[in-house]
Amino acid sequence: MNVIEINNLTKTYGKSRGIIDVSFNVEEGEVFGFIGPNGAGKSTTIRTLLSLIYPTAGSAKIFGADCIKNAPEIAKEVGYLPSEVFYYDKMKVIDVLKYSASFYKKDCSKRIEDLAEIMDLDLKKRVDDLSFGNKKKVGIVQALLHEPRLIILDEPTSGLDPLMQQKFFDLLEEENKKGATIFMSSHVLSEVQRMCTRVAIIKEGRIIKLETMSNLTENNYKKFKLEINSGIDKNHFQINGVSNLELKGNIISFLYKGNVNTILKRITEIDLKNVWIEEPSLEEIFMHYYEKEA
Amino acid sequence: MNIFIREMRAHRKSLIFWSIGMLFMIVAGMGKFTSYTGSGQTMKDILDKMPKVLKAVLGFGTLDVTSASGFYGMLFLYLLIMVTIHAVMLGANIIAKEERDKTTEFLMVKPVSRFTVVTAKLTAALVNILVLNIITLVFSIAIVNQYAKGEQVNDDIFILMVGMLLAQLLFLFIGSGIAAVSKNPKVSASIATTILLVTFIIAILTDMNDKLAGLKYITPFKYFEAQQLYEGGLKPVFVVLSLVIISVMLWVTYTFYRKRDLKV
Repeated sequence: MNVIEINNLTKTYGKSRGIIDVSFNVEEGEVFGFIGPNGAGKSTTIRTLLSLIYPTAGSAKIFGADCIKNAPEIAKEVGYLPSEVFYYDKMKVIDVLKYSASFYKKDCSKRIEDLAEIMDLDLKKRVDDLSFGNKKKVGIVQALLHEPRLIILDEPTSGLDPLMQQKFFDLLEEENKKGATIFMSSHVLSEVQRMCTRVAIIKEGRIIKLETMSNLTENNYKKFKLEINSGIDKNHFQINGVSNLELKGNIISFLYKGNVNTILKRITEIDLKNVWIEEPSLEEIFMHYYEKEA
Repeated sequence: MNIFIREMRAHRKSLIFWSIGMLFMIVAGMGKFTSYTGSGQTMKDILDKMPKVLKAVLGFGTLDVTSASGFYGMLFLYLLIMVTIHAVMLGANIIAKEERDKTTEFLMVKPVSRFTVVTAKLTAALVNILVLNIITLVFSIAIVNQYAKGEQVNDDIFILMVGMLLAQLLFLFIGSGIAAVSKNPKVSASIATTILLVTFIIAILTDMNDKLAGLKYITPFKYFEAQQLYEGGLKPVFVVLSLVIISVMLWVTYTFYRKRDLKV
């Protein structure tokens, strides 16, 4: 079952671009990554899903219902962590959380305490006395306190220290095991790589790649680094499937996608000192997508 | 209901301050009454000879400011300005503040429709202006009677407060309407206050120059003048006009807030 279905979603702001013709689905139980650089349209897509803004064209469904028309109904089962969290300054953390909980027809007080303890959050402080990172923690508790079936996270880890990131990801993994679907946007690729089963890559408002994480990292790409004894022509590796080709001194490196036999034959033709064949990090694959058209 | 309670709490302090302001205005205003009556007949002579324009600027109009209710009628204009400023700012801010304080992404992703949010906020605003109106009524009756010397003032005060409530409603919804339309939450309250000041200036201009009398229909300050309320009560044409403006602005508030993109 698809928890999120996005069909040809377009949002323009006057003449400026928001997102263009975005389509993809997120299945139940998935941890779905939505990656792209700043300004690519990640937040625009998320805000349309949450019906904070309305699409210019196309539509989106959450739990099979139209995300604009049925927004209040859908919201009961959605938890959202915005990229920047702002709350009513003069309220105490506990009051913000209780106010948040009052919108859901269930008792969340136990859950608030548990989450606050895990995230090491002081409930008695006033919101305006909190640091950016601590506000983010309030946001995390606030997004999870009603045990939503769909968790939407926009740049979730900004402002959190590595220890808290770890705890937060553990928390998300736990929710995911309990059946929650997670949809997270990020430009920090390592966190997407860690958590997600599938990713959509967005660039300048358009989806340019939709792939399972394993496909993206393991099956398709290999990172080659060769140390050579004598200088060679860079064009030796200008074949189909090679990208990010770099030659620095006597080190040559590139990403390769395709039949490994082809590339290995090429490699054997030259005099090698050393060789490394690795799984590329998502960053490297990702940069490759972006640089292509730059 | 939770949004309503939240808004009531958020505006509690401001309502207390405004109430104190009203009390201060009535006490200080009526305190000057004795200086008008003290010199007896001479004051009346001076006022009779005063040019119309000067009277208009001072807010006397044709009121007999040597009687307690007449003097209160003059003071009423200032009370009216205060409560309408309160109302127009309340209306604009209560709608715009989520966007201004960037709490939109908190509140509007909750299982509530925009209709519910606007309704809860407007209800809280209505209660606020009603409380301020009743407080002004109570303070006025308590204080003006100290100066009345047997003069019957309660009925006069009461009819003024009815007019004041209508003016408050008018400006409350003008404020909320502007905030609902405006995509920039930071300027909504300023635009709303500017409209209020412009209509006030128009009201004074119409007092000063008879040729501008036709303009009285576009400024709510002329709908609820003390003189007019004392003499004939609320004029049906102005009540109808007020209700029309209120309905239109209410419609604008709901329609625009539901249809537009929220600023996040």
